[in-house]
Amino acid sequence: MRIAAAFRPKQPRVFAAALAVLVLLAAAHAIGLARGRFDPGRGLGLAFGILGAAGYVFAAAYSWRRRAARVAPARFWTQAHVYVGGLAALAALLHTGLAWPQGVIETSLLLLTGWTTLTGVLGVALQKGIPSRLTEGLRVEVLLERIPELRARLVAAADTRMEGAGEVLARHYRQELRPRLERPLPALAYLIEVRAGRDRALEPLRRLSGFVAPPDKARIDDLIGLQIEKLELDAHLTLQRLLRGWLVLHAPPAGVLLGLVVFHVFTWLRY
Amino acid sequence: MSGAVPKEQLRQAYEARLRLLVPADAAELARLPLIELVPEKIRASVIGKIQRYAHFLDFAPGQVVVSAGEWSDSVYAIVRGAAVVQEPAPDAPWRAVVRGAPSVPAPPSKPVPPRVQTLGAGDLFGDRSALSRFPVSATVSAWTPLRVLRVRLPALRMLTAVAPELRKRLDQRYREETLAHQLRRVGLFAEVDEAALQRLRERAKLLSFSPGQIVAREGTLADSFYLVRGGYLKVSVDVGGADLAVTYLRPGDFAGETAILLDERWPFTLQAVEHAELVRLEREDMAAAVGDKPRLKDRLWQEALARLKTRGVVARNPVASEYLQMAIETGLVHGESVLLIDLTTCTRCDDCVQACADTHGGQPVFIREGKRYRNWLVPTACYQCTDPVCLVDCPTGAIRRAVSTLEVTIDAPTCIGCSNCATRCPWNNIVMVETGGVRKDGKPDEVAVKCDLCLGRAEGPACVSACPHGSAVRISFKDMGAVRSVLR
Repeated sequence: MRIAAAFRPKQPRVFAAALAVLVLLAAAHAIGLARGRFDPGRGLGLAFGILGAAGYVFAAAYSWRRRAARVAPARFWTQAHVYVGGLAALAALLHTGLAWPQGVIETSLLLLTGWTTLTGVLGVALQKGIPSRLTEGLRVEVLLERIPELRARLVAAADTRMEGAGEVLARHYRQELRPRLERPLPALAYLIEVRAGRDRALEPLRRLSGFVAPPDKARIDDLIGLQIEKLELDAHLTLQRLLRGWLVLHAPPAGVLLGLVVFHVFTWLRY
Repeated sequence: MSGAVPKEQLRQAYEARLRLLVPADAAELARLPLIELVPEKIRASVIGKIQRYAHFLDFAPGQVVVSAGEWSDSVYAIVRGAAVVQEPAPDAPWRAVVRGAPSVPAPPSKPVPPRVQTLGAGDLFGDRSALSRFPVSATVSAWTPLRVLRVRLPALRMLTAVAPELRKRLDQRYREETLAHQLRRVGLFAEVDEAALQRLRERAKLLSFSPGQIVAREGTLADSFYLVRGGYLKVSVDVGGADLAVTYLRPGDFAGETAILLDERWPFTLQAVEHAELVRLEREDMAAAVGDKPRLKDRLWQEALARLKTRGVVARNPVASEYLQMAIETGLVHGESVLLIDLTTCTRCDDCVQACADTHGGQPVFIREGKRYRNWLVPTACYQCTDPVCLVDCPTGAIRRAVSTLEVTIDAPTCIGCSNCATRCPWNNIVMVETGGVRKDGKPDEVAVKCDLCLGRAEGPACVSACPHGSAVRISFKDMGAVRSVLR
């Protein structure tokens, strides 16, 4: 329920306004096409180009959101970044007249526009989907930077618990479980299901529980708890890294795109 | 306290004072008139219990024992010598503030000179501030060489429980000097005439309750009206055997309006969440004071209806009380401005922490870790409590809350790193950080840091305004309606 709610637009009015602008741009383009030959360097085509370039500059200024906190809170700039960035990409597309461009720069511009838009959409999807999954599916909440420390604590706790354990359990712990507790085991499966692989991971311990002495049964119960915690740390590690990592796909290409836009405008003005 | 005083000097003064703070000698305690009020049969065992909370302090003439406006958890008994009490004029800026409540009285038309009185051996002071959790209302300083016994709150509670005579004496002082003033400050009594107020003052009973103790039980005869002078009470209703919180009462709040208006049984159970000090007024006395004052009656009706309505909501939908229950259990009810993070939208980007660090010279003053309740994280950030216990016992006055403000702040240049405030904070929201310097004794220099709500920042707390997804919010648990709408 909450996951579905997370995907709803936070500001329905802003979403509706963006949709209205989108429709207006499309309608203007359709009217422009109907009225005669479309030229990216003149009239409506030029207007789309200016809109697109201005939109890119605005979207790139997102990194100054903290300095602009006096004007509006960061959440406003985030919304503006997403909607203006999306509309700028549309304006750039309309600026091409929906035709594949000729030059290398223009082609690169179009490809980068597509890439930054797609990675932007991916970012929105990840930022909307992952937090609710982490919160709904896991009991543990942890800072990414503290995961190694907490993992070490889990191993220490497990080692302490295993003191005096029977041979079968001790061997299983030493050879199978401890290495899994020690190592970070990120997996993309957590993106689909935050508890992915849990049953499979716990199965050997559950089976062992059937033929060990009662004191070791209690140890196994505790080990299961510790392993669940470790699996949750792995899920956090994977998903929090994704939440930060997708920016590598988005921000540097967006910087290149902005540079090319500047170059494109300069060459158009100059020649 | 000025930041111009060298820190080392402040630290030495504090350490000198600490050396004096040795637990009081049992034989010396036994000779004091204050302790003589304890029945002889149990006196020795009581002394044994209170000893660690009782200290003798010596002051030279002119030295200040307690200053007006500071927070104290102690009562002082003069052993020998004389003290002078200087009560500032009523328009002095620190006066008449219930912790956290913006209740500064309007300045009088003519300036009133400060009131001065003297105290001698056997006299007590500081009790009203300690019990009611008000800031100290007057500055007390030594007139002659002065020796006082400082008794901290746990010991004072023990003493009042076993020595009815002491309790009577303290109550009498409270009744004569504070109660009328406190009643007037409760909006309800603002228009009650002087004679009626005088009668209420004389007939009021002053009661203390321990944590968990029931003040009034649902369904029993409602024959009293209660006014909270210190502590918190849970107001709950029994629904199918489950005790569901409807609201809570804090200093200045009242309960018992249904008794006066409807002659009904208690519709709720009142239970002390922590040590609570209450003023109890008999139903007949309150009814007489209310008399034919329509505005006062209206106010009572409004309160009664609002509470019955909330009771109905909770009875129909028990989940409605879950956040209140959580706030009472976790102590969030103390919070005037609690930082909460909605984990379903928080992308763990740490922009809040970064913004906090940017605003505080590179040192964040909160940690994005803490208790989790459902999808809400309560980070380690100061709640700006209504009753900030961290303010008690700061040796240099570095930690303070200005009148009519919300922010409890720490003045880093005057903080000597004694960690009293950090130890006292029940929520561990004050942390000690190393400054990089070294003290004279070779230990690393430390200061206490805590959230100050980005005092002076026009846009408000940076953590909230920097959150790109609007996940960080600040709420006051004073307004449960707002809490419910935010946390729904």
